[in-house]
Amino acid sequence: MPAGRGPILSLSRLTKRFGPATAVDAIDLEVRDGEFLTIVGPSGCGKTTLLRMLAGLEQPSDGEIVLRGRAINDLPPNRRPTCLVFQSLALFPHRTVGENIAFPLKVKGMPPAAREARARELMRLMRLPEHHFARNVLRCSGGERQRVALARAFAYDPEILFFDEPLSALDYKLKKTLEKELKDIHKESGKTFIYITHSLEEAMVMSDRIAVMNAGRIVQVGTPEEIYTRPVNRFVAEFMGEVNVLPARRGAGGLYASDEVPGAFRVAGGAAETGFIVVRPEFLRLVESREAADNVIEAQLYNSYSLGSRQQYRVRAGDKSLVLEQSRATGRAPALDTRVLVGWDSRDGLFVEG
Amino acid sequence: MERRARGSDRLIWAWTIFVILVVYAPIAGGFLASLGKSRYFRFPVAQYSFEWWQRAIDSLEIAQLFRTSLKMAALVTLVAVVVAFFGALAYARYDWTGRRLYQKLVLLPIFFPQPVMGLALLLWFNALGVTLSWQSAVFAHLVWIVPVVTLVMAIQMYGFDPALEEAAYDLGASRGQVLREVTLPILWPGIWSGALFAFLLSWGNFPLSLYTTGPDTAVPEWLYAKMVAGYTPMVPALGSMATIAAAAVLVVAGLLLRLRRRRAEP
Amino acid sequence: MVVSGSAIEDTARRRERHRLLSVGARCAIPVYLLLATGFLAPLVAIIGFSFATPRGYDAFRTFTLANYATIFDPANTVWTSFARSLVLAGLTVAILAVLAYPIAYGLARVFGRWSGLVSLLFVFPLFVSENIRLYGWVLFFIKGGVLDGTLNALGLPGGPDLLFTPAATLFGMVYVYLPFMLFPMTLGLSMVPNDLIEAGRDMGASRLQIWREIELPLAMPGILIGMLLTFVLAVGAVAESKVLGGQSIIVITHDIEIAFTYAQNWPLGSALAVLLMLVVGVLTFAGIAGLDLDRILGRR
Repeated sequence: MPAGRGPILSLSRLTKRFGPATAVDAIDLEVRDGEFLTIVGPSGCGKTTLLRMLAGLEQPSDGEIVLRGRAINDLPPNRRPTCLVFQSLALFPHRTVGENIAFPLKVKGMPPAAREARARELMRLMRLPEHHFARNVLRCSGGERQRVALARAFAYDPEILFFDEPLSALDYKLKKTLEKELKDIHKESGKTFIYITHSLEEAMVMSDRIAVMNAGRIVQVGTPEEIYTRPVNRFVAEFMGEVNVLPARRGAGGLYASDEVPGAFRVAGGAAETGFIVVRPEFLRLVESREAADNVIEAQLYNSYSLGSRQQYRVRAGDKSLVLEQSRATGRAPALDTRVLVGWDSRDGLFVEG
Repeated sequence: MERRARGSDRLIWAWTIFVILVVYAPIAGGFLASLGKSRYFRFPVAQYSFEWWQRAIDSLEIAQLFRTSLKMAALVTLVAVVVAFFGALAYARYDWTGRRLYQKLVLLPIFFPQPVMGLALLLWFNALGVTLSWQSAVFAHLVWIVPVVTLVMAIQMYGFDPALEEAAYDLGASRGQVLREVTLPILWPGIWSGALFAFLLSWGNFPLSLYTTGPDTAVPEWLYAKMVAGYTPMVPALGSMATIAAAAVLVVAGLLLRLRRRRAEP
Repeated sequence: MVVSGSAIEDTARRRERHRLLSVGARCAIPVYLLLATGFLAPLVAIIGFSFATPRGYDAFRTFTLANYATIFDPANTVWTSFARSLVLAGLTVAILAVLAYPIAYGLARVFGRWSGLVSLLFVFPLFVSENIRLYGWVLFFIKGGVLDGTLNALGLPGGPDLLFTPAATLFGMVYVYLPFMLFPMTLGLSMVPNDLIEAGRDMGASRLQIWREIELPLAMPGILIGMLLTFVLAVGAVAESKVLGGQSIIVITHDIEIAFTYAQNWPLGSALAVLLMLVVGVLTFAGIAGLDLDRILGRR
């Protein structure tokens, strides 16, 4: 992460209301200069509305957007030093690749020769084939169109680039390729990228920091690692991947008891009376005895899946179903329908609110 | 898609072709009638000649009719395209309260018999003391033609992706530049079709012209008067000429549109 | 941290924006102006005249039902033209519904890449004034015309005397209003998704069943609009009865025209027109009130 650079963008109590519904609810956020920030959240959480406000395509109902110390609420999109890459890419269908890329240069008044030179340069940067310059954009493949959209955004030379789920319509392999390229381009250009997606994997792979959004509010901001290992509540924990959740209450001696699984457990964190113990599948393991881990429970192994590089086990303790994951290297493959002991260390069992 | 039993398809084609022939039969018949040498119509035509065509082309009166019809169609096209363009934007492009009601209200002149509309306008003009002329007829044409052209353009506009304008705006274009560089070029085919419809519908309009042109006469009106009394083969000759003119305009406009489309996609 | 100043500015700006009409509303103004002055105003004038003294010009200054009394007086035959128009229009719709359906079906499902050309062929006649086309039929059916002449040339007795009869008028109306039935029907049929038909076939339905249970109900909105449009236009038609019917049958619009011109009885003509407008208005309102035009026109 770029060190020592202050915030390029600050949002204070940014709100957007549509009639009685509040899409974005008093968001405070600071975006660091040069970082790759991804805003993730389920559909309808307001992330697209937020992005559109930052780009200037929606007027905030309340709150402020400050870019490098200057409030830009009233600045129209064509005067903001920002650029939005749309989900549909919004490439001009009646123009060629070169004309699309050169568009921001044209409206600025750059002469044709200079425009073409710069457009070709950007095509090289985005690894677009030279001879596509005069090709109509409708004839380009999905991946090429992404690159054209990106090149066009860079032609505008913005300080911040916004991305509205640009990779969501692509197949897996293309997505992986473009994710890597996007990350490389970000590093090379040094610009600030604000990216929104509902795909966790994209966020984890590309971002310096992730902001988790739900129902119009930002729930947690942090590095992918932080959010994964120290989710602030159940929603974040569940959103960041498969996780075991045990509703629990504080009991005697600093231990927590759950209604769903018998036993008293030691947890990490935790100050409230009630909440949830969340344990990632990779931190649950099959143990030989009750001394092998801080928290051990009895369970019945009822299913086993191979996920390629990992093995997943499903066990049932009482009415509760739990998921374990371990790498195939560990080797142990117990028979189904046997009683097993499942254990985890207390530092891996986080106690969070709902 | 899988084709079902070929039999019914063939029947459908046969029926359609039959109906097309029936639809064009009187137009063809009129063409034949214009080629007769004698003053009265007799079939089969005894002697073929273009004499009446020549007389129609030479006639000053008919030249005046053509000019009147052309003037009207041109003015109607000009005004209709502008009014309907904005009307279509309101129809399909922007969301605003009252849009749904507007969409239905615009349909009303289309769901109304034209002769009655013409008579109503005749009464209205007379009540207002407006002198009837080709200009009042232009107004009458507009009342019917603008809703039609609005629909034609609206249909095209439904497919317009508003993200394109937003993107252009976001990339630094001023509102005028967005209009010039993105909106109009993409909407152009719709505008062109609308203009074509406006021109041709005005050119061929009979009921509205009949009641509202007053002393001026458009081609269809003159033809009607002659049909009632004073038939000569000049009538079908002029009718055929007017039809050929309409077809020519259609073909040329269609070619221009295709040419433009091919230029845009190298 | 919200600075109260900017919050106040925001609210003021928002209030101002609500005072001006939105972009969409402003775009609609020219069309509304045209319709108000060219469509609504004349019709209001007609309504006003219908209550004026018979043969007078004092609309909106007097109020009398004398004109309507004249129409509904069983001693007069003025209302017969109205009845005739309704019957003719009804027959036209019934006949065209049957004649046009196969073509609409073809356009929506059978013609493939020829649909464009076929549509064009059916649209083009709208650009040729109907009196030219109807007169072509006169030349066809008249004594010595195409039909008569051809039969004579083949040695057969002359053609039947079809012109200047109510049947000829009906024929003319079916001929002229075909496109107005055809295109809405085609639109309706094109809105039936293909997968539903294939699913029906997959489940073992016969073609008749598929047509009755799937296609017809789903295409019904388009079919109804076609029927509505054809009816309201046909009920006010006059060219066919004049050119082909030779006034063997007087339709309502002709009576209105006579009242406005020869008879110089604007109030009576207006009253007749109001009756016609009522029929057209009520039917149109019933037909299009529930339409979702975005879905019909915007589906691509």
